Amino acid sequence: MACPMCENTAGTPVSRHDGGECIRIALAGNPNCGKTSTFNKITGSNQHVGNYPGVTIEKKEGRASVGGRSVLMVDLPGTYSLTAYSLEERVTREVLAPDDPAERPRAVIDVIDSGVLERGLFLAIQIREMGLPVVLACNMMDEARRSGTVIDLRKLSDLFGVEAVPTCARTGEGLDEAMRAALDAAAAPCSPMVISYGSDLDAALLDMVPIIEKRAILTGKYPARWTAIKLLEDDEIVRGQVSACDAEAAERLDAIRAKLADHLAKTEESTPEALISDYRYGYIHSLLKGGIVRKNTVKDRLALTDSLDRLLTNAILGPVIMVGVLYLMFQVTFKIGAYPPGWVAAAFAWLGGLIEG
Amino acid sequence: MPEFNMRRMQLGTKAVISKITAQGEMGRRIRDMGLVPGASVEVIGKAPLRDPVALRVAGSAVARRNSEADDIAVRTED
Repeated sequence: MACPMCENTAGTPVSRHDGGECIRIALAGNPNCGKTSTFNKITGSNQHVGNYPGVTIEKKEGRASVGGRSVLMVDLPGTYSLTAYSLEERVTREVLAPDDPAERPRAVIDVIDSGVLERGLFLAIQIREMGLPVVLACNMMDEARRSGTVIDLRKLSDLFGVEAVPTCARTGEGLDEAMRAALDAAAAPCSPMVISYGSDLDAALLDMVPIIEKRAILTGKYPARWTAIKLLEDDEIVRGQVSACDAEAAERLDAIRAKLADHLAKTEESTPEALISDYRYGYIHSLLKGGIVRKNTVKDRLALTDSLDRLLTNAILGPVIMVGVLYLMFQVTFKIGAYPPGWVAAAFAWLGGLIEG
Repeated sequence: MPEFNMRRMQLGTKAVISKITAQGEMGRRIRDMGLVPGASVEVIGKAPLRDPVALRVAGSAVARRNSEADDIAVRTED
């Protein structure tokens, strides 16, 4: 229970849009994990793939068909977490938990760079805590494999409790499986992920959740525990939403947070927010230690980039190489660039000759 | 193991993060990058003016300013 996403589909396994319309699935991921390429491969839309700031901040949507069912894909901006610090993160949150429940994605495909599994899972945990079903699209598996890293996806799926599918956005490999898994996840019952944040925070959460549930604060939008976690993180947006919803309860919740923050400052010289992310990473590290990742060779995944970096950022060689590249461009522009005007002049001379003759 | 400031790490050395004292948004950003207590870091490069510094963390390279490194305490790997 307490899963706002399941309540409004009680009885019907998939979206209420299913009757003739389509199932909404969101595509999330870290920046530079291949999310935009994945989106383009799935929807077939021909968009620009780039890395300019804000290129994906506008909401991108595309349609796809999976096993005869039509799917509306929503591309989310690349983020590392779901705090309220940056616009990207706020947009992502807004899409995952919109004001209109009908617009809520039925499932999220979280694209992960398999070489940096921790960071990807850090976002996945937070999406699961919001109560949405997640499918991990483990991108760049080919690269990881080539560098000798073996990731046991079945084990990852089992331990993490979500389906993990190997994908390659460049070739489109595995994307159909990811989409099918997302549809399955959308149809299955879901409940928000619950991980432990240590005795101090768990105790505070236990105090806060009943208040939020009893007063029904934002429970149509977020799971109660998620709201409580955000309040502990001192998330200004959620705090504003809570006090707009129920000012009296907001004060009580604030008092719990203040007491905890005070206690943590004294005993651990830490803040609730810091502890929350430390525990999330702790959870991920303990998962990955369970034999999910195996390095076959000692070969460094970034060996090539590293040696290139060493050469190109060398204090003496770096500037020399840069001047060389600039000189080359200068030469190309003026030497090779001198030929086409000559051809044009010759063509006109020839045309002129035809007319005169 | 003695704790020391990350700024004092030499090029090519490895250490384990023991504490992060950065608050608010900077604290969040540092953690988002995988710089968390217990993570092992290696200094893989320094800019000509010794700032910023390139770190290897959890299989990826991250650049940090020295002023940010001040908020990160590390200890040598056992």
